[in-house]
Amino acid sequence: MTISLDRRKFLMGSTALAAAGAMGGLTPAQAADVHLRLYWWGGQARADRTNAVSDLFAKANPGFTYDKEFNAFNDYWPKLGTQVAGGNAPDVFQMDYRYIVEYAKRGAVQALDEYIGKGLDLSDFDEDQIEGGRVDGKLYAISLGANSVAMMVNTKAFEDAGVDLPTRDWSYDDYKAKADAFNSKSNGMRLLADGSQGGDPPLENWLRARGKALYTADGKLAFEADDLIEWFKMWDDLRKANVCVGPDDQALDATAAIDTTMITLGKAATTYANSNQLIGFQAVNKNPLTMINFPRPKAGVGGGHYRKPSQFWSVNPKSAHLDESIKYVSFFINDVPSGLILGVERGIPCAKHVRDALAPTLSAPDQLSLNFVSNLGDLLGKLPPSPPAAAGEVATQLNTTAQSIAFGQTTPEDAGAAFIKEAQDILDRAAKKA
Amino acid sequence: MTARSVGAASDPPGRAVTPSFWSRIWTENGPGYLFLLPWFIGFFGLTIAPILSSLYLSFTNFDMLTPPQWVGMDNYVRMFTNDPKFYQSMRVTLLFVAFSVPLKLAFALAVALLLNRGMKGLPIYRAVFYLPSLLGASVAIAVLWRTLFAGDGLVNQGLALIGIQGPAWISNPRYSLWTLVALAVWQFGSPMIIFLAGLRQIPQDVYEAASLEGAGRWRIFWKITLPLLTPVVFFNAIIQTIEGFKSFTPAFIISGGTGNPVNSTLFYTLYLYQEAFAFFRMGYASALAWVLLIIVAVFTGISFLSSRYWVHYDN
Amino acid sequence: MTTDTGLTVVRSATPAWRRRLGSVIAHVLLIGASVLMLYPLLWMLSASFRPESEIFNSHSLIPSSVSLHGYISGWFGLSRSFDTFFLNSLTISLLCVAGNLAACSLTAFAFARLEFKGRNLWFALMLGTLMLPYQVTLIPQYVLFLNIGWVNTFLPLVVPKFLAADSFFIFLMVQFFRGLPRELDEAAMMDGCSPWRIYYKILLPLSLPVLTTAGIFTFIFTWDDFFGPLIYLNSISTYTVTIALRTFVDSTAESNWSGLFAMSILSLVPIFVIFLFFQRYLIEGIATTGMKR
Repeated sequence: MTISLDRRKFLMGSTALAAAGAMGGLTPAQAADVHLRLYWWGGQARADRTNAVSDLFAKANPGFTYDKEFNAFNDYWPKLGTQVAGGNAPDVFQMDYRYIVEYAKRGAVQALDEYIGKGLDLSDFDEDQIEGGRVDGKLYAISLGANSVAMMVNTKAFEDAGVDLPTRDWSYDDYKAKADAFNSKSNGMRLLADGSQGGDPPLENWLRARGKALYTADGKLAFEADDLIEWFKMWDDLRKANVCVGPDDQALDATAAIDTTMITLGKAATTYANSNQLIGFQAVNKNPLTMINFPRPKAGVGGGHYRKPSQFWSVNPKSAHLDESIKYVSFFINDVPSGLILGVERGIPCAKHVRDALAPTLSAPDQLSLNFVSNLGDLLGKLPPSPPAAAGEVATQLNTTAQSIAFGQTTPEDAGAAFIKEAQDILDRAAKKA
Repeated sequence: MTARSVGAASDPPGRAVTPSFWSRIWTENGPGYLFLLPWFIGFFGLTIAPILSSLYLSFTNFDMLTPPQWVGMDNYVRMFTNDPKFYQSMRVTLLFVAFSVPLKLAFALAVALLLNRGMKGLPIYRAVFYLPSLLGASVAIAVLWRTLFAGDGLVNQGLALIGIQGPAWISNPRYSLWTLVALAVWQFGSPMIIFLAGLRQIPQDVYEAASLEGAGRWRIFWKITLPLLTPVVFFNAIIQTIEGFKSFTPAFIISGGTGNPVNSTLFYTLYLYQEAFAFFRMGYASALAWVLLIIVAVFTGISFLSSRYWVHYDN
Repeated sequence: MTTDTGLTVVRSATPAWRRRLGSVIAHVLLIGASVLMLYPLLWMLSASFRPESEIFNSHSLIPSSVSLHGYISGWFGLSRSFDTFFLNSLTISLLCVAGNLAACSLTAFAFARLEFKGRNLWFALMLGTLMLPYQVTLIPQYVLFLNIGWVNTFLPLVVPKFLAADSFFIFLMVQFFRGLPRELDEAAMMDGCSPWRIYYKILLPLSLPVLTTAGIFTFIFTWDDFFGPLIYLNSISTYTVTIALRTFVDSTAESNWSGLFAMSILSLVPIFVIFLFFQRYLIEGIATTGMKR
């Protein structure tokens, strides 16, 4: 052991010397030189836009250089976690609505409140989008776009079956009423994907429209076993009536990734998704798609939807360039030419002046996305409190539970009660740790 | 340093220390340690510290984002007393190992023997049989496996031709694990190549002698080929068992990291990965890892003890 | 080729017609199995020429229309073109092959052929490092390499191979070395050969099959590896093919699927060529040594 320690010290020392030498020798001593590391998830389309904006920022602020890194969503989190654990987090990195609480509660992202108006310009930024970046009352993340849950709709399937396209007024009862007509001509395709196995968004939407919620502000469950049993029973009915796909098909879609959803696999005519995903879905679907809200629990009942930050920028509290990082974020959300480059790829821009400049330039599907999020009307309810740290784990458990009902391993009654207990255990365990 | 201290520790007491003593220590142990030098540097410089760190972390509540805090045996106690997922993942993994390892080895050995006959087109067959292993666990495999094993997939279309209505193999919790066993067996290329290399190392004159004595093919296999191949069989069995217990990527890509349907493909390391990177419980994941290490080490230890009776080294 | 003479002797014990029948049956079995083995590749090949909208819901192997779009959009799909990634993967893989062959064979020689105190203990520890899932040593290892200043270089991926960190190959070589007759080194020892000469002049030449196997496997495993490169390589100019492929597909957004399949096909080419080219050393292993044992 002593040998290895000495060796490490030696190596550390020598690299530090080498680095110092390189700095002194190679770079002109400019105090203004700032090197930022940016990290996000997404594809090359997002990278091209992000890189272009970064270049605009560097042009406006000479002396800025970047490391611009990105990975796919699934690769992003283990890598970011490892970097944070190693004390080597990027200066500015993308955050997800689901993970922001985990990172904020553990001090891995910078609280930004004191920078508002001093480097961080949020003067005409949507209030609900600022709220969405708060955890325990403090602002930890800046929304890069608003979106909402939405159903993807295969228009050709409805046309072929001679059934009207779903409208914003449709409830689960309407789907049920149209199922027989649809099934008679649909060649095995069903009207709905199984929403009970779609993570927690369909349940949350349904609960909210009924005046409840997933979580309370202090991170407890905000619904009871009875609510859940009713939800599970509704899906049991929908499955039995062949309104939604069977468990064998639904289980092919393990993670609601675009390529495995029921609509992409041709198993269902509508599927649960997010409003900023229309273009992604369309790319792998042959038939023309459109977008509509989640079904209402009952006719005339709204308030289930909310405008959710699709993703955020967060800043590393240990960054050597904290002020500059915040300046970069502020530029990213406020600069109009940048906004035109970014479009609605990350969701609807949250600064009003950017949104106004962007609206006339959008393509038809982008317009659809913008209009959908801007015109939710009576469907829009108030923003829920930020979810507790273990919300992701609870959602995983919810899926497993719904699956075991669908496969007939348990009943809605038993599973509903058991889930409440399991979820509370998960939440308690996380609360104890935080 | 190390070499000398090891030698000194086993020094019989009361013996006079003479120059010839040191030189004897050197000639007995020196070359061994000299050859091991690169490994020692790697082991003590790069490998041991992370391993010991993970052991330490298994007694903490490390969440990756904040410094670890000591929690004693909590993680281990929870695992055995209050964690149904631990038992479920252990059950899934044991089933997977129990079926995939023997099947894979049997296939690999059978094909290697077939290919070792020196037939025409051998290099082509060998390459073709290795192809699935080249694909590794790419995203494409996940899409492909769905195409094959879904309810309306190709496997069932084939079964329908002979009048069998197959279930939805990949998405039904009763059958999903078997599609992963099938994937593991299908990728039998690595042990096959190792068997082939082993077969190639058996001196031909042994065969010549045997066939001159009029031994049949079956007898030659049992009396000559198999015994001479036992070091390689032993290697493949140990390695495949260890890899089977640690198996991660197939379940990860095919179930999208969830272990579903209904946790039926929740491999042990997949559960460990979820705990570490999805639920921020690296301390607990480390404890899971060390329990796995002990289980695998016991299996391996027993295999090594048994190897004295059936593995033949040095002809 | 030389080995065939050995086999002919065995064969001559059975009558010609049975030999022929046996060979026909073997070929039929092998061809049948080959179709099963090849299907995925054909499917991927077909997917790489398909329009994206057809990849996930078509059972037919033949695409409705053939397009090279995937290959073009794939090759130039990231801000660096794929030649960079191929070069990176090749560099890392070849260095790892060199490292593993040199370091693992030295280590295996010591474990298999030399007597020294503590051998069993070290061997058990060596094997033990195989048993711990890498997911839990990842962070401590990252911290270690970060402190040395190796993050965002190839060093964390390559240097451990030169220090025999790959227990799989040490164990593999040990098993093969132990299968070689001991009289060889004993005779050489009598003649005053040093352990180094025994290793270099006798054992290595006799071990061509296992060295080839280890080389091929190291190349392929390194080429396919994604977790190491994912964690240690940050800038896109250092990405390997595997990491580049994974950045094509983001499950939450628009992805370049046909590019993924096209580049997946291309990424198989180098490892397949390496395999085809070097596998003949598996066959010729013993023959080329010219040693009659």
